Amino acid sequence: MTVEEKGQAKTTAVKGTESAGKIRAMVKNIYRGAQEAKAQGKKVAYFMVASQYDEILRAMDVVPIPTENYAGLCAAKRDMDRFLLKAEADGYSQVLCSYTRIGLGFDSLRKDLGDIPEDSPDGGMPKPDMMLGSSSVCDPRFKWYQAAGRYMDVPTHSIDVVMPPVFSDLNEVRDYYIKYQKEQFQGLIAFLERQTGRKMDSDRLWETIRLGDEAWRLWYEIDRMRIAVPSPMPAQDHFNVMVPAYYYCGTKEAVNFFRGLYAEVKDKVDHKVGPIPEEKHRILYGGGLPPWHTLWIFNYFESFGAVFVIENVYRGYDPVEVPSNVKDPVEYLAWRTFLRLTQRHEKAKANSGNPVVERLLDMIKDYRIDGVVFHACRSCRATTIGQVHMKNQLGQFTDIPMMQLVSDMVDLRDYSEAQWKTQISAFIEALSARTA
Amino acid sequence: MTAIGQLQELYNERGKRARQLHDSGKKVIGYFCCFVPDEIITAFDMVPYRIQGNQSAPIDQADACIEPMACPFARSCFNLALKGEYDFLDGFVAPHSCDTVERMYHIWRHYKPAPFTHFINVPHMMGPSSDEFYQQELRFFIKELEKWSGKKLDIAKFREAIKLYNQRRKVLRELYDLRKSDPPLVSGIEVTQVLVAGMGMPAAEHVELVRKFIAEAKGRPKPKTQKVPRIFLWGNEIDDTAFVKLIEESGAHVVMDDLCTGSRFFWDDVSETDGPLEGIVDRYLHIHCPRSNMPQAETRKKDLENRYGYIGRFVREWNANGAIFYIVRYCDTCEMEGPDLREYLNEMKLPVLMIEDDYSTSTIGQLRTRVQAFLEMIAQGD
Repeated sequence: MTVEEKGQAKTTAVKGTESAGKIRAMVKNIYRGAQEAKAQGKKVAYFMVASQYDEILRAMDVVPIPTENYAGLCAAKRDMDRFLLKAEADGYSQVLCSYTRIGLGFDSLRKDLGDIPEDSPDGGMPKPDMMLGSSSVCDPRFKWYQAAGRYMDVPTHSIDVVMPPVFSDLNEVRDYYIKYQKEQFQGLIAFLERQTGRKMDSDRLWETIRLGDEAWRLWYEIDRMRIAVPSPMPAQDHFNVMVPAYYYCGTKEAVNFFRGLYAEVKDKVDHKVGPIPEEKHRILYGGGLPPWHTLWIFNYFESFGAVFVIENVYRGYDPVEVPSNVKDPVEYLAWRTFLRLTQRHEKAKANSGNPVVERLLDMIKDYRIDGVVFHACRSCRATTIGQVHMKNQLGQFTDIPMMQLVSDMVDLRDYSEAQWKTQISAFIEALSARTA
Repeated sequence: MTAIGQLQELYNERGKRARQLHDSGKKVIGYFCCFVPDEIITAFDMVPYRIQGNQSAPIDQADACIEPMACPFARSCFNLALKGEYDFLDGFVAPHSCDTVERMYHIWRHYKPAPFTHFINVPHMMGPSSDEFYQQELRFFIKELEKWSGKKLDIAKFREAIKLYNQRRKVLRELYDLRKSDPPLVSGIEVTQVLVAGMGMPAAEHVELVRKFIAEAKGRPKPKTQKVPRIFLWGNEIDDTAFVKLIEESGAHVVMDDLCTGSRFFWDDVSETDGPLEGIVDRYLHIHCPRSNMPQAETRKKDLENRYGYIGRFVREWNANGAIFYIVRYCDTCEMEGPDLREYLNEMKLPVLMIEDDYSTSTIGQLRTRVQAFLEMIAQGD
């Protein structure tokens, strides 16, 4: 069914901040920049967001191409079907991660055509010099590039990113988790040194880490300002501003962007300016990848006075303090990973047993949340499985309305506008009943 | 009763033997997948129990706790637990084998808390640092079992357990050898029953029954040679005979497999190393599961050989002339592995039928036509 037949020509949402408007150019620059870099003979790499290795790539002057983000971009442009269908024709299941299907379908078409498919969003992805997977977040993120080997014979390296289970004694496991993480980063560096023919410069790595940490500190502080009523920055803006945080991590561009956003959000808080004239309901986006194909749905909620004030996906970590005696930048990254991934372990042990539930409970309290919406994505196991359980657990601590919408992050075939609107209507009624 | 009769009874009444042992005071530890070493649990005088689902039973309670887009095998297991069918388990252990099982650990322990629960982080990457990390995770597992049981791990018993499981691996390989002849001396249905029965009983008892069954099978009248396709089966969880039966009733022999309920879980021995854990780590981390990432070899061709060379040997040695992939839906790693393995097998001129299914016997009818058409194609090719 075409976009017109579905009556859904619109995909993007109206944003609350002006800064979010700068993101489109930054996204374009990722892919066009990678094409230019490739033309100039620089090394470009497919990479996985949130693998904790961003600053390493920047320090080695490797130009990163976020393949997952490209899938989201295709969905926002409603140009995903040709890639999805190509991957499915190549034998990939329709229930396989749709980010992966778009990426593999794109690579398959590029191989068949001998060039980037015509009119690809933002000029398409160039053939990489290497592919860097990771086990952080989900399984497809290390399998994807292995599978992509059928379309291009390029060097591939993946790393483990490990998180101890919540009930482990952190004092007991800390040393070997950090050791393993450090070794995984060292293995990546050795691989990059072979591919680029140059050695890692520790000073340069410290510099990119400093920039990465600074951007993420500013991002954290901006999100803390979003506690304000009315909300100075809704979730649809978050799904834009995550671009510099994740895809420009370790660069000055990211720091500069967040400085500008910080000033703008602060101004909105000071002057009590929200995205809509009257904020009636404050909603938490509880989890699941965003519906990139239909981001305007956030504005649809706003038409009922419901604003998504904070979200639990593509979220930064609270700042962590790596011990000052850590003098080696790779060890610093390993420590930082461990501390980020265990932030709410102790709290969870003492309360719900689930660190994500603890984060959601913190958000519900701090952001004065009236309702929670989850988005179950049919093809994303990692961000979907556990939502029902979390809803059940949250229900033991709060009686605010919660709802799970079902579709997919990019595959429109799993989405029904009519069904969503029916669910949203009932949800708004439940919120209104509580207000009354 | 014949050995196969006893094994079939245990296959049909899964959990019966483990329940008896639990009732007699033995601790029974349930676990998922292939990455939890039975040897460690056995060394503590406990009974390891590989958790299975039920393809014939509807998943009627789990939806209240876990999404339907999760692996239906894991959901089926959990559904059985919710219905009390795993109440004989004294412990529950989940390895980080995949996204679903990792989530299942949290969900299971919340809704069906057991006296002992544990999660083992299993590296996805393979290499020396991964070996060391996994060894640390196993040390941590041992420490937790020591704490819970109040007993220290007895190294002599640990070594005995390693020997015992190697014995079991040996007899199971002998059983698989009976499938090399044409026609095979044991059917795919019988092999499935033998393996699944063994997942719910002490290994020593299983070894005895399998030995007896091998003797029985060898003593059967020699069947006539039949010109029917010999199938290699690849995929994840087949703990029910329904699908194998469908293939064999459609006029083929299932002669070899690489399934996590098949050769994958028992094929390689544990080396009897000075430090017993070293052998365990080496063996368990090199299980050929799509969830583990073999470092890339220089070229695509070499990479495929590196990843699937063992399957190539299986196919040649068992003389398979067709491969059927049975992928339980929503298994992302298998879904991504399938096309690569198909490429490798096609290169060997082996036809492949790739099936994605719901882990349910109710879909068998729909699969019949596809399987029959595939077998006809192989027969015509011959």
